[in-house]
Amino acid sequence: MVDLTQYLPILIFLVIAVGLSSAFVFLPMGVARLTGAHKPEPAKLTEYECGFPAFEDARSQFDVRFYLVAILFIIFDLEAAFLFPWAVSLEEIGWAGWATMMIFLAELTLGLVYAWKKGALDWE
Amino acid sequence: MIQLIAFYLFATIVIASAAMVIFARNPVHSVMWLILAFFNAAGLMLLAGAEFIAMLLVIVYVGAVAVLFLFVVMMLDIDFAELRAGFVRYLPLGALVAIILAAELVFAVGAWSAGGVDLAARAAPVVTDKSNIQQIGELLYTKYIFLFEAAGIVLLVAMIGAIVLTHRQRGGVRTQNISAQNRRRPEDATRLVDPGVGQGMEL
Repeated sequence: MVDLTQYLPILIFLVIAVGLSSAFVFLPMGVARLTGAHKPEPAKLTEYECGFPAFEDARSQFDVRFYLVAILFIIFDLEAAFLFPWAVSLEEIGWAGWATMMIFLAELTLGLVYAWKKGALDWE
Repeated sequence: MIQLIAFYLFATIVIASAAMVIFARNPVHSVMWLILAFFNAAGLMLLAGAEFIAMLLVIVYVGAVAVLFLFVVMMLDIDFAELRAGFVRYLPLGALVAIILAAELVFAVGAWSAGGVDLAARAAPVVTDKSNIQQIGELLYTKYIFLFEAAGIVLLVAMIGAIVLTHRQRGGVRTQNISAQNRRRPEDATRLVDPGVGQGMEL
């Protein structure tokens, strides 16, 4: 088991964030309930005259280009994640470890050049 | 004491949200439950002392993989009623998979309690006076170079595959060509004419 006391600031941040956000959500609701008239009616939730429906399924089909952006993001995210242990252990792993990471980076740079040349980074 | 409470809190939420991933009717809600499960799994990793893995879970799984899942769910055009139909038809196959997984669990627990082989300790000697990110670095970039580079190749193949599958040129779009704009000189764009009197303009 690890020493959890070093995570106390994160817990404090979390408590403050949850408290503030729930205050922002529930305080206006409570104030409105106490000060204004509260008469819910189904007609109030329907669209007004020729307006569009207020409540419908949020799912609409995405363009596949978003997926490409997400894939590219994951790959370079992982690349950055691999850099952290490499950076802190560079003294022990020596030049061989340094060269390993350079080969890894070269592999992904090849992919980046390919993506760039194919125009996959352009949105149009 | 706090660690025990935290462990049971994280473990309960992981199992509950994993169950909700399966039982949620809306696939988008399933992905949201999955994100909650990832967060709590990261908490469990923290309790186990694997801080780097915990942060990796949050950065890579929550930040990237869950977003990818969400995109995939949003891109699919699923008919939910049709998806839920045929429960009875797929029940035998599903039950078979469940039984196999349960048997594997039993075998794994049996092998763990039998002990003896200790492969993990031979492959990754535990040094306790260093942080685990440093231990990962010392092993990954020396002993497991080949696997590391293979992971790089896998990422490269994934990137090229995604580009080949999803990227296509769309016609009829006018993009800005900055170098062409900068190359343009006044003499390309303007013309001086000297019309005679009463002859009018000819363009």
